[in-house]
This record gives sequence, structure tokens and C-alpha cells, in this order.
Amino acid sequence: MQIYEDYKEHADFLTIYVREAHPTDEWQMKSNLKDKDDVCYAQPKTLEQRLVIANDFTKRFKFPLPFGIDDMSNAANDAYAAWPERLYIIDESGHIAYRGGMGPFNYNPAEVREWLAARYGAVKHEALKPSADAAPASTKSADSGAEAPKPSAPSTPASASAPAPLPASK
Amino acid sequence: MKRFWKWTAGILGVLLVAAFIGLSVMAGSPKDAYGMVRYALPHMHRGTLKVGSDAPDARIVALDGVSRFHIRERTHERPLVLVFGSFT
Repeated sequence: MQIYEDYKEHADFLTIYVREAHPTDEWQMKSNLKDKDDVCYAQPKTLEQRLVIANDFTKRFKFPLPFGIDDMSNAANDAYAAWPERLYIIDESGHIAYRGGMGPFNYNPAEVREWLAARYGAVKHEALKPSADAAPASTKSADSGAEAPKPSAPSTPASASAPAPLPASK
Repeated sequence: MKRFWKWTAGILGVLLVAAFIGLSVMAGSPKDAYGMVRYALPHMHRGTLKVGSDAPDARIVALDGVSRFHIRERTHERPLVLVFGSFT
């Protein structure tokens, strides 16, 4: 989330909720149990069930990033090979500018920060916590086999662009 | 010939056990190794997208469950950072 705070004036962010990674009826992790993080959900079978979990997540963590939910066809997940977690940057021309590795082992928000920093300048923090970076759930930053970020020159001045609207909500 | 098949089956069995033990160590426990093989590996894909590929579009549902929007609607003016994940 720290990356979002640091670069939201320059780039848009969108979190997309995809199928659960460790639901109670599949491969549940001990760290998700009720006496720990209390994240105990079965794999959603309907969009309504996904909505309940996504809303619990955003409310529980006061998650500030724009948020959307992959529908039950898993179209976004399939198109981006996103499960269980993954990061991408799409540039203004609609092309993939950065493709992160497959999570959790190659999920590396630091590479996103590096890409943004190369374009818009680094934002320094006295004590930047790694876990504070953009992560939708329990994610691990690890050594990455992902492609190194290769930012290109912006085609539009960042200062001239307007922020994108949040996902519509009522 | 019978001896050959005996050895082959034995070696395959040892390799399978070794693979399962290795996976259990990596995943944390035999139960986690089973979970990884049964539930995670079938869904994990490297994908075909590369840097420079056209970003695919997909329809996304807003948190209210009613509104819909497309990923590509948000890619015109500034870079878009996509963060995929789930709660658990």
C-alpha cells in the first residue's frame, strides 16, 4: 500500500480479487485459522460469495486501492495467469510494461516500485517496511525470477493526466 | 526381464517418495505438499504475456456487485499497476 501512496499521483492502481488461494475446503494454511489471522473462507462458488470476501478484506484492512472482482468466468485470472497473486504494469499505450513473477515466491512489489521510481523518481522512507507495499493478501516478497522492470519514457506528462476514477460503488 | 521391471518399479517408487518428501519440506508438511499438488499446481500458470504484449481486457465487477468496468478502460492516460490476489 505504500507504493500506492507514493505513486498514486503518477500512476493508476487496480487490485483485482481472484479465486481464493487457501480456502477452508482446499489447501488451508495454519496462519489463516481463527485463532490467528481468522481468514477462514471456503472457495466461493458464486459471485455473491466473492463479493462478501472482497468486501470483508477491503473493510477489515481499510484497503485504499481501487478494487475490482474477477467474475466467476475467471476471465481476468485466465488472461493474466494471475493466480494466486501477481503484479503487472500496463503502460499508456495498453502494452504490458512490467510482468511480475508468479506468486507467492516471485511476487515482488519492490520491482514495481523500481519501475515507478525509474520513471517518476524514488520516494525515500526512513524505515520502509517491506510488508507495507502493495499486497492484496498475505504475500511474501522473495527473490524473483520475474522480468526486470524496463520503464520507457512516458508518452504523456504525469502532471497533465487526471487520476482514474475508483471502481464505481453505490 | 522380470528383474528389470522389478528394479524399474523400485527406482520409480524411491523417486516418488523422495519427491514427496522434498515437496513436504518445501511446503511445510505432508498435508501441505498434498494441498499444493492437489489444489495449487493445477491453477498456477506462467502465462503467455510478455513485456510489450497487448494487455488483455477483462470485465471486472465493482465491490457493490452491480457496476462493471473493463481493465482497459483504465489504461489510457497513465500507467496502470494491476495487483492480483485473494484474501486467504
